[in-house]
Amino acid sequence: MNTMIVRCMAAAAAIAALGSWPLPAAAHIISGAQGGFGSGFAHPLTGPDHFLAMFAVGLWGAQMGGRAVWTLPVTFPLIMVGGGIMGMLGLPLPGIEIGIALSILALGLAISLAWRPVEWIALILISYFALCHGYAHGAELPLSADPADYAIGFVLATGMIHLFGIGVGLALNKPVGGKLARGLGALIGLGGIYFLVPAVTAA
Amino acid sequence: MSRLSPRREAWLAWCGPALAALGLLTIAAAALLPGLNDSPLARWILADTLAPARILPLIGFGFALAMISATAVMAALPFATVGIAGALLLPDRLLALLDLIPKAATHLFFAGPISFLAIGAALVGSDRWRTWLTPPAALIVAAMAGLMVKLSDPSLHEPAYTWTPVLATIWIVAAVAMTLRASQRPWFSIFARILGSWLLAIGLLYGGASLMPPKPDLAPPPMPVPDVRPDIPQQQP
Repeated sequence: MNTMIVRCMAAAAAIAALGSWPLPAAAHIISGAQGGFGSGFAHPLTGPDHFLAMFAVGLWGAQMGGRAVWTLPVTFPLIMVGGGIMGMLGLPLPGIEIGIALSILALGLAISLAWRPVEWIALILISYFALCHGYAHGAELPLSADPADYAIGFVLATGMIHLFGIGVGLALNKPVGGKLARGLGALIGLGGIYFLVPAVTAA
Repeated sequence: MSRLSPRREAWLAWCGPALAALGLLTIAAAALLPGLNDSPLARWILADTLAPARILPLIGFGFALAMISATAVMAALPFATVGIAGALLLPDRLLALLDLIPKAATHLFFAGPISFLAIGAALVGSDRWRTWLTPPAALIVAAMAGLMVKLSDPSLHEPAYTWTPVLATIWIVAAVAMTLRASQRPWFSIFARILGSWLLAIGLLYGGASLMPPKPDLAPPPMPVPDVRPDIPQQQP
């Protein structure tokens, strides 16, 4: 069990380090025509803000336990589509970058405090965050060279990050009274501040 | 979930992975062996029939078949047979029906998004929901798979271009269903819901992106108009 936890932590740290590579604060919303499946699949993995938020959703669900293990990661992509369609239609939704940064900060705080709210409160929070992330990607989806393959790659990679978060969360829940998961949550929260400051400054 | 006899269970436990391995070896051979790789049919199968947009609903369908009772599987298989046979034998009627959707004719009649939505809806619900929804989803997924075979056929009715992708479709569904059925785990039910939400999200985004008007910044630049004013002297060759 300990070996598995160490491996999970090492993998999480490696991916978090890779994902936290300094990038412009507005890297999430990208411009210009995108490619197909590969581009869609790579985008959530190479965008540190999206990666951290998706990872935190899985981690928080695993930390809450029970139905939340699947209700959170199931709700996220479905609501994200709503945001995506709003973005595709060009409907106004101000403060997207701030919302994305806040999602990372709030999820990090929830994990670090081991907050276990009533399920519907968690789902409402997740839904708002999903709307922000979906809007950002929906705005760029029609620009994609192959929107179908881009959407497939993007949703698959997002879902895999959720699963990775669930796996790490389940592995870190019990040892040391769940302090490892809470520590990881604190790091995610710091990541949220890193994205929030330039987003607020730019607004 | 109803239990099969131990002998049949043991046979099924090996049958799924063997089928998956055989198919994967065939794909590898088609991709790597020079003789096969040069064949237009092999190249078309690799690029079109095995494209992510085509195989993901089939994987979802296979997963759904692995998660429902044997009785429900027996109910779903005739629906799937009717769906694919109907699409292959009477494509015009199906196309006329799908043509009611705006922009259908320019987006492969939305066969892909409809497949994703049908099987995603079946997977995302509870076990009971999945049991009831998989047979109608089987009809839709199989019909859309058959339709995509007809619509993407580059050969104008060469039989090999119909039956090879149909066999590949059946192989994907059977290999996934039999392999997963033989190795049931308690977390499969959770993963089925998560997979269902992915498929629904892909279907909605895929269909939504196709229905959206093109953005103005993607419009091609204006064609340069040659200056043919009569006051400019034309250089004679």
